[in-house]
Amino acid sequence: MQTVYVGLSGGVDSSVTAALLKEQGYDVVGVYMKNWSQDLPGMPCPWKEDYQDAKRVAVQLGIPFKMFDFQKEYRQKVVDYMIAEYQAGRTPNPDIMCNQEVKFKVFLEACLEDGADLIATGHYARVKNGSLLRATDDNKDQTYFLYRVTEEALKHTLFPLGEYAKPEVRKLAEKFGLVTATKKESMGICFVGKVGIKDFLTHELGKQETGNIVDAKGQRIGRHDGAIYYTIGQRHGLDVGGGLPYYVTGKDMSKNEVYVTTDLNDKKLWAAQLQLTDVHWINGAPEGGAKVQVRTRHRAPLVHATLKFDKGNVVLTLDDEIRATTPGQSTVLYDEQKVIGGGILV
Amino acid sequence: MADSIYLDHAAATPLDDDVIAAMQPYFATKFYNPSAVYLVAKAVAADIAAARQKVAGVLGVRPAEITFTAGGTEANNLAIHGVMSQFPGAHMVVSAVEHDSVLESAKEYDHSVVKVNPDGRINLEAFEAAITDKTVLVSVMYVNNEIGTVMPLAKIAKIIAQIRTARQAADNILPLYFHTDAAQAPLYFDLHVTRLGVDLFTLNGGKIYGPKQSGLLYANASVELAARIIGGGQEFGRRSGTENVPAIIGLSHALSTAAEQYRSAATQLGSLQKLFFDEVAQHIPQAVCNGSQKYRTPNNVHLTLPGTDNERLMMELDERGIICAVGSACSASSDQPSHVLKAIGLSDEHAQASLRFTMGKNTTKADIRRTVEVLAELA
Repeated sequence: MQTVYVGLSGGVDSSVTAALLKEQGYDVVGVYMKNWSQDLPGMPCPWKEDYQDAKRVAVQLGIPFKMFDFQKEYRQKVVDYMIAEYQAGRTPNPDIMCNQEVKFKVFLEACLEDGADLIATGHYARVKNGSLLRATDDNKDQTYFLYRVTEEALKHTLFPLGEYAKPEVRKLAEKFGLVTATKKESMGICFVGKVGIKDFLTHELGKQETGNIVDAKGQRIGRHDGAIYYTIGQRHGLDVGGGLPYYVTGKDMSKNEVYVTTDLNDKKLWAAQLQLTDVHWINGAPEGGAKVQVRTRHRAPLVHATLKFDKGNVVLTLDDEIRATTPGQSTVLYDEQKVIGGGILV
Repeated sequence: MADSIYLDHAAATPLDDDVIAAMQPYFATKFYNPSAVYLVAKAVAADIAAARQKVAGVLGVRPAEITFTAGGTEANNLAIHGVMSQFPGAHMVVSAVEHDSVLESAKEYDHSVVKVNPDGRINLEAFEAAITDKTVLVSVMYVNNEIGTVMPLAKIAKIIAQIRTARQAADNILPLYFHTDAAQAPLYFDLHVTRLGVDLFTLNGGKIYGPKQSGLLYANASVELAARIIGGGQEFGRRSGTENVPAIIGLSHALSTAAEQYRSAATQLGSLQKLFFDEVAQHIPQAVCNGSQKYRTPNNVHLTLPGTDNERLMMELDERGIICAVGSACSASSDQPSHVLKAIGLSDEHAQASLRFTMGKNTTKADIRRTVEVLAELA
């Protein structure tokens, strides 16, 4: 029988993943990935409890348990990348980077080295004939975070939850008697813990210089406490008075200015064309002119688009305009169920 | 878990039924603030006074020498800061295996940490050498919470008496007080102050079948204590805040029961302990017992099972209904291994292969046999 190393995070999804594989007859080994985390004053990452829950699940399933330490890799490839992106005025997806660089790279390599034939994670996604497919549960589908995984990694990967809906997974956890059955969903970026991204960035980069908030007419309407904290496209509770909500339309990092509008129809908030850089394809690039479906955020509705290449970058012409596209975020391309690839919004 | 075998009595003990019954009236019936002047409140104040009188009788001290606190940690804090804050620049001495509430409190002052011997008992030569002309407080625990070792309090008291005499001769007017954290002691040891030879000691209700967050500090009348919590002046001004009446009543009941029964309890637990050690020797020969066998609380068995991961072992036992404690689990965390196991010379690897079993009044021989049987399968 094949040996599968399951990344146990201490959450319900990876617990059930391990239980299902064991039930299917695999030799299952549970592995907790120790990634970089920082204990901020009064706000520690709950990794210790997660580690103990992962170990407890291994005990309950009667499988071996190991811990792999990827703190160095995680810090370099995920945390430093994230901080650099924010400094450049963009809003990155650290989870996508974690999958590309840690889970489906160093973790996979370490597992194969240690004797695994395959790895498995609790992602809601499917692999069929070497292709990455969306999960059956559209509501939970996590392929948005997985588009940068290589086909080589997919060959060694199982996603047993791809055919299940989340409530079914919880029921399975109860059926298997797992300690994680009723555990709350973890939210947000793990290493940021409960402090939130703003406090995390302040802790890493120090207090930011204040600057102007400028409205659509070019009027200075208030001050911000650091341009890096503002996400383009996002509605912000700007402390500038006036009642109407403000939307961030742009930033100028060199002038340290943040641009906002109260007009939801402001052209700057809407895009009919997306330009992607640093693209990644699974099983080869599509043809120019290909019709695809795209997603600019996790769980966002799919939008039809036509793809064209422009000097290595990808330009997508959307059938319908979409709101709030954010530089640094990923756009993922689909051909119906199949993930073709994607790139980073310019 | 009704059928589980609970072997973590050093962490928490269940409340005795009569303790619960004694506390019950003070939640909703006799709930009055003891400081109030109306008669129903004065009756509650009288009940506190009676509880204090009862505790004083058990301990052989005067009622006014007792300060009720919210648990042992607070009592240790009051002892150390209450003394040390009055002598700027003074020095104190603690053993290396004290509870964190003692070690962390001592860190705020000039202090020396005295090493222990491999059996867990304080090294008396090192202790004597650690005392300087500026030492005003010594804090050495009665029974170690992790490995169960009983400290030679009488010998320490004798050394302290000699130093006091020498100080008198040398015109050194600094006092030298002796505090012991006796949180783990009352169920199996004599607590009468005349036989302990200490000036201050800490007790904790949560370890003696009484309520959590109940405790007390005894301080001899000659010891001047500065208050840590100030306000309305309750507890003779040493610990302000409206008295936690149910906790005080519960503590006094639990403590008197402990004092009445400590001899028979020690015999009963001692035979269970012997059985535990014998069974381990027979079925798990590779296991190492930590801490002195001779000078040991009768309810503690502390084992190193070489090559195991103690945290996993604890969880495996837990899944089989056997509850015990991991002294130091740090295979994955940045935690330091237990300072107690380090102090007795265990390697990190051995410390992380160690488990603590602490028995109680409801533990049976069958429980012990079952525990060792499961442990032998897993180890």
